[in-house]
Amino acid sequence: MKFKTLTGIASTLALCAGMANADSTVRFWYHFDNADNPMDALVAAFEEANPDITVEAENIPWNSYYDQLYTAVIGGNAPDAAMVKMFAQPRLVEMGALAPIDDWLAEWDGADGLQDNLIKLTRGPDGQQYYLPVQYVVLYLYYRTDMFEELGLSVPTTCEEFRETAKALTRDTDGDGQTDVYGFGFRGAKGGHDHWASFTLGAEGVSLTEGLTSEAGVAGTQFVADLFQEDGVFPPSAPNDGFQEIIGAFKAGKTAMTIHHIGSANGMVEALGDKVSAAPVPECGGGRWTAFGDESTAVLSSAEDPEAAWKWITFLSSEGNNTMFNEATGQLPVVKADSEGWTLHPQRFVQATVDSLPFAEMLPNSSATADFVNTVWPTNMQRVLTGDIEPAEMNAKIEELFAE
Amino acid sequence: MTDVSETPKHRASLGRQVLPYAMLTPAVLVTLAIVFLPMLQTAWMSLHDYVLFRPDDFTWVGLDNFKAALGDEVFWISLKHTIIWMCTTIPAQLLLGLVTALLLNQEFPWRPVARALIIIPWALPSVVIALMWVWIYDSNYGIANEFLLRMGLIQQAIPWLADPDTALASIILTLTWQGFPFFAVMILAGLQSIPQSYYEAASIDGASAWRQFWHITLPGISGVMMTAVLLRMIWVANSFDVIFVMTGGGPGYASHTLPLYAFIKARTNLDFGYGSAIAVLFTLLLMVVVVFYLKRTGKAVS
Repeated sequence: MKFKTLTGIASTLALCAGMANADSTVRFWYHFDNADNPMDALVAAFEEANPDITVEAENIPWNSYYDQLYTAVIGGNAPDAAMVKMFAQPRLVEMGALAPIDDWLAEWDGADGLQDNLIKLTRGPDGQQYYLPVQYVVLYLYYRTDMFEELGLSVPTTCEEFRETAKALTRDTDGDGQTDVYGFGFRGAKGGHDHWASFTLGAEGVSLTEGLTSEAGVAGTQFVADLFQEDGVFPPSAPNDGFQEIIGAFKAGKTAMTIHHIGSANGMVEALGDKVSAAPVPECGGGRWTAFGDESTAVLSSAEDPEAAWKWITFLSSEGNNTMFNEATGQLPVVKADSEGWTLHPQRFVQATVDSLPFAEMLPNSSATADFVNTVWPTNMQRVLTGDIEPAEMNAKIEELFAE
Repeated sequence: MTDVSETPKHRASLGRQVLPYAMLTPAVLVTLAIVFLPMLQTAWMSLHDYVLFRPDDFTWVGLDNFKAALGDEVFWISLKHTIIWMCTTIPAQLLLGLVTALLLNQEFPWRPVARALIIIPWALPSVVIALMWVWIYDSNYGIANEFLLRMGLIQQAIPWLADPDTALASIILTLTWQGFPFFAVMILAGLQSIPQSYYEAASIDGASAWRQFWHITLPGISGVMMTAVLLRMIWVANSFDVIFVMTGGGPGYASHTLPLYAFIKARTNLDFGYGSAIAVLFTLLLMVVVVFYLKRTGKAVS
C-alpha cells in the first residue's frame, strides 16, 4: 500500500513537472535570399519573451518553396506557420491548409499599427483573413545613371522611349565587335512575368483575366519579342535568365536597365555606388502596371499549437521586430512605426517605390495564378523569345488558363 | 540408431532450403514497400483525375489521362527529346568509357592516380555537376565561350542553354561527361579478366592489334558492356535532375524529356493524375526497349 501511494505521488509529480515543461514547438518555414539572415536573432528574442515556446525556423530554397509547401501539406508534414505570397493563397485555401485568423486579429492590438489597407489587400478569396502581412515591395526600373549621362539619355517614361533608350544603351564599348552592354536585363525564366506584365498589362482593358488576346494585349507581348529578336537589347541568355542572372548582369555592367524591387537596392549600391538609380516602370499602351510584391505569414490549419504559431507570426509583424525581419530580406516594413524611421535603403529607391505604389497591382486571386507563375508564363515566354510560337498564341494560352 | 543419424541431416537440408528465403525476405519486403507499392499507386492514380490541391476530388476517369497525353503536343516533343537523349548519351558515354578503359589498361607511370581521378565526374552529385556546367556554358562569363572565342571558332558568344537549338545538346554533353567513368571502370574490370595468354597466342599467330581487339578484347568485355549499357540505359532514361537544374526543361520545351515532364506536371502543377499517366506510359515504353535490348544482346553475347 505504502509502495502504491509512493508510486502514485511520484507519478503525479512527474506529470506535473512534465506539464510545466510542456513546451510548444512552432515549426516555421521561410525563404531568404540573404545567406547571413538574422532569423536566429529573431527566434532568440521571441523565445526569451515566450519561454514556453520553441521556434524551429527553416530556410527553404525559393525555387522549390511552394512545391515543398504543397507537398508537405498533402503529406501531413506541413509546418505550423509559413511565409506565404498572395498568388498561393487561393490554392492553399482550396486545400484547407490555412487557419483563419479573424478572431485573433480582432483581439491583437498590433493590427492598427500596420500600414493602411494591407489587411484588406491580403484578404482570402472566401472573405476570411488568413494572411498577416510581414513585408512588401513594389517593382520599379533600375538604371545606370553613368551610362545614361554618358549617352545624354533621360529616364524613359513610355514604352516608345524605353525602346529607343534600350537600343542606344546596347553597344560594343571596347571595340572588339562584340556587344558587351545590353539595354535591358529581361528575366525570361520563372519569376519574369512581372517584366512582361509591365510592358503588356498597362494597356487599357488588358489584364490577365480579360483582353489579353485583344490587339492591345498581343501588342504588349509582341513588344517584348521585338526587343529581343529585332532590337537585340536583351542579353542572348535572356530566355533562361532568372533572378541571379539579371541582378548579376546589372551589377557587372552587362545590362544598363532592369526591373526589380528595393530588395536588391543595397546590393546594387554596394557594387555600383552612385551609378545606379531607380524610377517607375514606363507607361505602355496608355497606362502603367507594376507588381505589388507582397509577403505575409500564415498559420497552417494543421498547426499543433495554433495559438503559439499566431504569437510567433504577430511577433514578426510587430514594431521593431518587423524592422529586423526586413533588414534581412531588404524589403519594406509593414508596421507604420518601423517605416517612419526607415533608413536601411537610400532614399532614391524608397522614393521610386512610393512613386510606383499608385499603379501597383497584384496577380489575380485565382488558383490558376500558381500555374501561370510556375509553368505557363515561363514556358510560353521562352517559346516566344526563341521564335517557337507567335505572341498571340502565348496570350491565348494564358487567357485559356484563367478562363478554366 | 537410424533416427539419430537422420534427424540432423534432415534438419540441415531443411535449413538449407529455408535459409535463402529467410535471408531474402527483408530485402523483398523493403523493395515491395518502397518500389512496388508506389508503382501500383502511380498506376492507380493515372486512372483518376487527381489534382493535389483538391485532395477530396479523386474521380475515376479510366484511360482519359492517357488519351489526353497522346493528344498532348508536349508529350510528343518530350518523347522525341527522350529518344535523342538516350540514343546519343549512352553511345557517347560507352565510346568514351571504352577508350578511357583501354588507355587505363596500358602500363604507364602514375596509372593508379589516373584511375582514381577518372572517377571524379561519376562521384560528384548531379546538382553540383549541373551548376558547374551552367557556369561553363554561361554566355557572359562562361569558359566555353571564352575558349571558343579566343580560338576564333566563333565570332559571338553563344547562349548554349538559352538557345533551343543547342540546349539539349549541351546537356547531353554534360551527362556524357558525368557518366563515362562508370563505363570506364566497368570495362576496365572486364579487360583485366581477359587472360594475357590469349594475346600472346594471337601475336605468335601474327594477329594485328586491331584483330586482337576485335577477336579477343571485345568478346571478352561484351558481357560487362551489355550489363553496363542496360543499367545506364535505365538510369539515363530516368534521370532528369541535371536537366532540371540546368534549364528546367527550357527554353520553352527545348529540353523537356518525358520523366521531366511527368515531374513538372505532378510536382509543380500538382496534377498527379496526369503526371502519373505520363510516368506509366514512359515506363511501358522503357520496358519495351529493355526487353528488346536484352533479347538482341543476349543472342549476340551467347
